[in-house]
Amino acid sequence: MLEIEDLQAGYGGSPVLKGVSLSVGEGEFISVVGPNGAGKTTLFKAVSGTVRPSAGRIRFGGTDLAEVPVAKRPHLGIAHVPEGRQLFPSLTVMENLEMGASTAAGQRDWARNLARVLDWFPILAERRNQLAGTLSGGQQQMVAVARGLTSAPKLLMLDEPSMGLAPAMAEFIFARLVEIHRESRLTILLVEQRVAEALEFADRGYVLEAGRIVLEGTHAVLSADDRVRQAYLGM
Amino acid sequence: MMLQLEGILQALNAGLLLGAHYGLMCVGLSLIFGIMRVINFAHGDFMMLGMYVAFHLFTLLGLQMVFGSAAGPFIAALLAGPVLFLFGYIAQRFLISRVTGTRIGSLEGEGHYAQLILTLGLSLILQSGGQILFGSVPVSIPSDISSTAWELELAGGDVVVFVNQARAVGALIAVAVVALLVLFIGRSRLGKSMRAAADNVQAALYMGLDVDRAHRITFGLGIGVTAIAGGLLASSYPFTPYVGLEYVIIMYAGVVLGGLGSTLGAFWGGLLIGVIQQGSALLLPTQLQNTAIFVVFLLVVFLRPQGLLGRSAERT
Repeated sequence: MLEIEDLQAGYGGSPVLKGVSLSVGEGEFISVVGPNGAGKTTLFKAVSGTVRPSAGRIRFGGTDLAEVPVAKRPHLGIAHVPEGRQLFPSLTVMENLEMGASTAAGQRDWARNLARVLDWFPILAERRNQLAGTLSGGQQQMVAVARGLTSAPKLLMLDEPSMGLAPAMAEFIFARLVEIHRESRLTILLVEQRVAEALEFADRGYVLEAGRIVLEGTHAVLSADDRVRQAYLGM
Repeated sequence: MMLQLEGILQALNAGLLLGAHYGLMCVGLSLIFGIMRVINFAHGDFMMLGMYVAFHLFTLLGLQMVFGSAAGPFIAALLAGPVLFLFGYIAQRFLISRVTGTRIGSLEGEGHYAQLILTLGLSLILQSGGQILFGSVPVSIPSDISSTAWELELAGGDVVVFVNQARAVGALIAVAVVALLVLFIGRSRLGKSMRAAADNVQAALYMGLDVDRAHRITFGLGIGVTAIAGGLLASSYPFTPYVGLEYVIIMYAGVVLGGLGSTLGAFWGGLLIGVIQQGSALLLPTQLQNTAIFVVFLLVVFLRPQGLLGRSAERT
């Protein structure tokens, strides 16, 4: 579904990604883990188009994304739930979700998707008319995920959904992601610093360090790797 | 006693009618300043342009002939709206977009310095261009009802309040336009995406919204609405190409009073300014009317900086 080949990208001449290749198949749950500054967010921004790659190729469902402007990419089925949530703070919860459903598919299936999303995150139904900027961090993260889902995406990209959340809330979000993946067979690409959880739930994982993929494989392979065990799992 | 009451009621009535016009102006600026966060120095001059468009629609293009001298000025004012919408849309497309929206990431101070300079330049061009095109002799768009009034007899005829007909009609139109606009911004999908694009440009892009188009429409609407307010005022007040300066200050005060980002709040802000301005005439010499506005303005900034109707949600 998503094929990234030898991707290089950076900001103002300083390279962050130095040749990243990865692939995400339909229905897979893929995690990309790695330390701060490894280039995880840049990778996502290159896929959603707010960072322009200097070399390499990104293909989504057979389309070369280099030809597709940023605002058209969600309409192909890419939902980017950005780091730090990036809600529309002066819009209500419901309006945020409606903005998610700006794609043709999102508008067509709005009622069904909304019902499912509110089923997964019932608190949002209670807070539907509250301004998103006044919610707690955990609730804001739920809105961010829900807003991604109402676009009826083919690929849901989540950038550090646990960032800044209390452990219990982070666990709740992870549990929901697993449930969403199981119930909808939605393809998910997750970037996380909480390596243990991220690898546990994923079909496959990639370890990104200093702009390069240093390791990839299934949960079993990665968690058996000594480097991963020492550096990320604290074992 | 009755005389005093009459004076107060008369001032209140004049203030509310004029304030409704100010409110409409403020709503226009609120879209641009409050929602898009663009400092538009030229807003008053765009309004001036709207007044001249209304004037020429009325005289040269024959609205006077078609609708007569009573209704003609109001229809001219309403038609100036779409004309200036287009003007604002194009100005945003080719000029303002260079210092706003998806570009501000790369500009210092979120593009505010560049916006100041650009719109200040636009303001000067519009003023001087206006003087070349339209001359500096004051003109107005008098309606047949500009100097007629309804007499309201209160307290069994002891108190008589004069309601200027042109200003009353203008105020009603202003309220109707504000109501439509608030509905549009609040309820329609386009209105919501305008607010979303203003709230967080990058997130709006992630949602697949056409941010640049949303900004063009917001800017066009802001200018168009203020042009209607200017056109309505022109039936009572003569104007020159420099009229913008007088009003732009009132508009900013109204928007801040009402609370940044709140469309309806801007209307109440403008209304309040009208009442303060006319009410202060009871106590102060006319030259000090605008001083009264700023005393209240400073008090609000001091005591309630989020504005009278400001929302407390932080914007990122």
